[in-house]
Amino acid sequence: MIRKYHVVAIPIRLVLNSFGDHNPNGMMYVLKENEQKVRDLVKKNPFSPVDLVRPLVIRANEGEIVEILFENKLDFNTGMHFQQAEYDVCRSDGANVGLNKDSTVAPFDSILYRLHVVKEGTYFFSDLGNPASGEKGSNSNGLIGALLVETRFSWWTDPETGKTINSGVYADVHHPLLPSFREYAWIFHDEMEVDDLTGNRPINHLTNQEEASFHGANYRFEPINRRQQLIAEGVVGPNTEGEEVHHDSWVFGDPSTPILRGYVGDPAKIRVIHGGVKETHVFHYHVHQWFSDPQDLNSEILDAQAISPQSHYTVEPLYGLGSLQGSIGDAIIHCHLYPHFAAGMWGLNRVFNTLQDGSQCYPNGVPIKSLQPLPDRKAPPKPTKEKPGYPNFIPGKVGYKAPRPPLGIKGGRGLTELERNAAVVNPRPGAVFADPTPKGAPVREFNISLIELPVTYNKQGWHDPKARIFVLDEELDDVCSGKKEPEPLVIHTTAHTAIRINFTNKLPHILDGDAFQLVTRTYETGFHIHFVKFDVLVNDGANVGWNYDSSVLPGETIQYEYYADVELKAWFFHDHLFPNAHQQHGVFGSGVVHPRFTEFLDSASGEKVTRGTQITARNPIIPDYRDYVLFAQDFALLFDKDGKPLQPPNFPGSDDDPGLFGVNYKNEPLQFRLGPDCDPAYTFSSYVNGDPITPIFRAYEGDSIRIRLLQGAQEESHSLNVHGLRWQRQRSNLNTKLEEQQHIGISESFTMETYIPRSGDYLWAFETEEDLWNGLWGLIRAYDELVPDLIPLSDRPIPLKRSRPLPECKGNKPPQAGNPDKVLIEKGPVRYFDIVAFQVPIVYNDFGDHDPHGIIFALRKDMDAILEGKKKPEPLIIRGNVGDTVEVTLTSLLKKELFPFKDGIYPYPEVKEQAFYPPSLRISLHPQLIQYDVKTSSGETVGFNGDQTVGPGESRTYRWWIDSQVGACGMWDMADIRNHKSQGAFGAFIAEPRGTEYVDPYTLKPVKTGANVVLRNPFLPDVREFVMILHDGVRLLDKGGKVIIDPLAGVLFPPPEDEVEEVDTYDQGSRGFNYRSERLLNRYRKHPVLHDLFSSDVFGDPATPLFESYLSDPVTIRLVTPAERRRSHTFHLHGHRWRFELKNLNSRTESFAGLNVAGTTRNLELLGGAGAYGRFPGDYLYRSGNINWDIEQGMWGIIRIHSEVQEHLPPLDQ
Amino acid sequence: MTNKVNKTVNDIKEEALVLYFSKNIGRRVFILTEAFPFMFIGKIKGLLGDILILDVQTTSVPALEGKVWNVHIDSIDVFYIETGIGAKIPHLKDNAEEDVT
Repeated sequence: MIRKYHVVAIPIRLVLNSFGDHNPNGMMYVLKENEQKVRDLVKKNPFSPVDLVRPLVIRANEGEIVEILFENKLDFNTGMHFQQAEYDVCRSDGANVGLNKDSTVAPFDSILYRLHVVKEGTYFFSDLGNPASGEKGSNSNGLIGALLVETRFSWWTDPETGKTINSGVYADVHHPLLPSFREYAWIFHDEMEVDDLTGNRPINHLTNQEEASFHGANYRFEPINRRQQLIAEGVVGPNTEGEEVHHDSWVFGDPSTPILRGYVGDPAKIRVIHGGVKETHVFHYHVHQWFSDPQDLNSEILDAQAISPQSHYTVEPLYGLGSLQGSIGDAIIHCHLYPHFAAGMWGLNRVFNTLQDGSQCYPNGVPIKSLQPLPDRKAPPKPTKEKPGYPNFIPGKVGYKAPRPPLGIKGGRGLTELERNAAVVNPRPGAVFADPTPKGAPVREFNISLIELPVTYNKQGWHDPKARIFVLDEELDDVCSGKKEPEPLVIHTTAHTAIRINFTNKLPHILDGDAFQLVTRTYETGFHIHFVKFDVLVNDGANVGWNYDSSVLPGETIQYEYYADVELKAWFFHDHLFPNAHQQHGVFGSGVVHPRFTEFLDSASGEKVTRGTQITARNPIIPDYRDYVLFAQDFALLFDKDGKPLQPPNFPGSDDDPGLFGVNYKNEPLQFRLGPDCDPAYTFSSYVNGDPITPIFRAYEGDSIRIRLLQGAQEESHSLNVHGLRWQRQRSNLNTKLEEQQHIGISESFTMETYIPRSGDYLWAFETEEDLWNGLWGLIRAYDELVPDLIPLSDRPIPLKRSRPLPECKGNKPPQAGNPDKVLIEKGPVRYFDIVAFQVPIVYNDFGDHDPHGIIFALRKDMDAILEGKKKPEPLIIRGNVGDTVEVTLTSLLKKELFPFKDGIYPYPEVKEQAFYPPSLRISLHPQLIQYDVKTSSGETVGFNGDQTVGPGESRTYRWWIDSQVGACGMWDMADIRNHKSQGAFGAFIAEPRGTEYVDPYTLKPVKTGANVVLRNPFLPDVREFVMILHDGVRLLDKGGKVIIDPLAGVLFPPPEDEVEEVDTYDQGSRGFNYRSERLLNRYRKHPVLHDLFSSDVFGDPATPLFESYLSDPVTIRLVTPAERRRSHTFHLHGHRWRFELKNLNSRTESFAGLNVAGTTRNLELLGGAGAYGRFPGDYLYRSGNINWDIEQGMWGIIRIHSEVQEHLPPLDQ
Repeated sequence: MTNKVNKTVNDIKEEALVLYFSKNIGRRVFILTEAFPFMFIGKIKGLLGDILILDVQTTSVPALEGKVWNVHIDSIDVFYIETGIGAKIPHLKDNAEEDVT
């Protein structure tokens, strides 16, 4: 079947909220049938949002051909590039790539795109005619949308009228056999131009500075700044502060942002789409949980999920709207990154329990639009006077803050008559309008207070004088008197438990001001929880929509009740009233729901405990385990020991990345760990500096462990890497990918379940450069013999009595690590690699951008050719097969005189708290995911492990073995993270199937290294393997020898000088693939035509790797991100898809891989091979999905797929 | 494969299992199944042909406990019967009510 749409790209004024904030230069895709209507409505309503002005969302059914007649009414070439779809890349790519025909459209011209929508899902589309970032770009101004592809035979109707619709962000989707569901498109976007009513940039009314950049969804945002102004002007909310009522509809009425409406129990799908250009967001949806892959019951259960630009996923709330407990009311949906949340990136999911036929009103008199019940579900009852339904039984007063909930507050009120009519059979504190707890469930009660006290983060006296933390009441005295070290509160329970919290607000009324913040009256707080089941109206620990304000004033106690239905990961808790003001001071914690019947023991004494970031868990039927909890923190507002603020913002109250970083209220900055010889190579050594103050998790060799990873504060992505221990990405799936790295955003939660195969010190680190530099690392220490203060696990053999003393810090250089020969070579071949590390200039493109101080790893046999310029430097990529032992001999040939900054300060790209850290002449090589003994072969000098780095002229052999076909593994230096890594000291190791041979794709001769090879295996088809190493933080010089200050130096249309925004440290540096970068600005200067910038007809092929294939050849992309900045990148390949879980046939299939940040590894097998199932030859763009500061800066390349045999490229043997 | 009286290997297996379970009526059993709910601990009440009647004390899902369940012996992957010789099957208790802080 062919489905046809006529789409027009038009310029439009986008009014973004009811305060009149607008983008005068907006652009949108719109159906032709709505074009005039939209234009007329916008003209009539210059300062009010117009319902029809939403990102275009159209629909089709799986298996159809979608024909889009696309007409361009903008004054530059535009197009529609569709992700996920298969299409003739020469005609329907919506771009002008390589040697393809141009499929962008000139102004006032049109084109026909023909798409094959092979599979159900989200087909995000956006413009690529104008790849510029900033206000002259098209994507940030709104040229985004989605084609939602439904199951075959589906149809869709308007939720309000029940009539069929052709477009719209909301639809009810129906099917002859499957249940109807509510479908909501939630399209995040950021960095849009915003003017206020006066046509000027919005000013923050508290700081009098320009407001933070736009963060919203579906062309709307509802910033705290605007709502707070109404309080300041005395219009509404007397005696309120601002943040605590930001989401309160009693005070302000409903927001302009999306309100996803449904009836309790309705099945729903939220198509979460990132149409923005820059930031990685975290989608969080109160009350509900979902599978990370709706098709895969073994996938992880989530309730907060990060999303990077131009990526997407589907949220299908388990048990439908209101979750298992049938909770009615408003469940807020928001980006959990607090500055984004405050900037207006939030909306509501409104769950009604009475029929809305259009005759009802909200408490403020605004009519409730009708909402058709889903046809295959029983309609909810009609509202009556006695039972008016949500929200009309709540005794609030319009213009004032929401009322407090009944029953929960100690000494508080009971139920009104209307509340009693709406309540469950046995209303009680914390469970009034929904009862989450099944009869007979055991109850566990915790008394928790939120307090303020000073907390010291490190040995140098960096401290937060106004830290705010949760503590158990029973431990209050010990924590306040210093007897117990403050740590994030982690409480432990088992599945099938009702959890009761008596929460007391013991904070002062005022959060005092300082260099970081303005004085804020944080007079009420709540205890907001994730994952567990609860009644959202009274128990959310928040103040949302028409719900109650379920927080308490200082001195008050409120009782909450939740139910943990199954074993859950660590559930996050925090305050939801003033998090933007104080969560970065430490207002976060976690509850861990363990398997049923588990007991929790103090790891030192064996006594029972109820809380702790490091405990031992004993269970009668599954193996015992050690349980460790890590919280990453940014925006840590610290002062040094003399009271000097560390990294204060430009003005107090700014959200522009103030402060530093922490992990569990601690940090161990590298600048303080230089030993007497000032060699960074020993930074992580406990012999030189003693153990870090950050968590050292302890275990015996062979113990099972679970690491609970959370992020407590506040805005940025982090990347946990554990060196030498790997885990299953999906805990319950044996076919899942093995990982050693996990990206995390605030409020996400991951459990890494693994065991420690061998004794030694294992490094865990949030391993982007700036995090690591500022101290986010620690150890997992596994003992081989008994130590007095660590109980053995009850089901493991008792370790042998200690035969030798434990190592101690004496301030000396660490001893040489032992000989790796001690590990026996098992059966199977041994692969030897003789690798040298040396300095050589690296040329990044034909325009002369270069790094004159590159440091690379290479095979010794290739070194001379590279130094002589006969061979171009490339990242070292080596391979081995399952069953192989790999012996790598590394030699350092680094020369002091070739380092650019011998004085020890690397000036750019910089990190926060720059400090003396002279370049090390030692170097090492650390691999991911494959096996080795950390004491001899992890390629780093960590804890009380011996020295594994090599100095100039020295060599060391590492012994690794490959026990699993893990595919792509990053490799990098760990001797000097400031002066080596972004300069090129990285590469990749690829673990291939047993029996594989690797040959050059052009000569078919065996090779030992290379990014582009053909894999030959007697049991498998020949496969083309393309290794892409995505990296950033590079310091490039232009051909004139001038430093390129990327990303701004690469922006095509720089803003006027007075409007140049400051670039976060973690965005600094150039970027690309495999030591190459095709910066668009170089091309634009030569030929200033935006839509031609990817064209090889105009410019020749880009400098980035050009990978070639024939149609339908099997292709595997190995994508690694060894270095190094905190900004995560999305990878997207045009016209192809792959399974998210490689070995799982039920896995979702996508054309992007998001969240690439230091340590990420991906194995992407192209479905249907090169050219996909549709077999379309041509040039396919591989690129970053970040329009802002990636594509312009050169992070793109081409895969060329030939249909006819080329002389230079021998075909594969099939 | 068949024996002299045309019994298949599966017939023999089934007979042996039925016999073994019937000999142990009244005893506690630990069972792992491939499908939901994966684990049972309970008392063998009897057999209905090749279906085991089980007084279930513990499973992975609390809502299924304290009830009689019928488990087809073909769905049993692993089992252990507490006969007095060898290890005891633990009596599992939700311990949430203890140690209230």
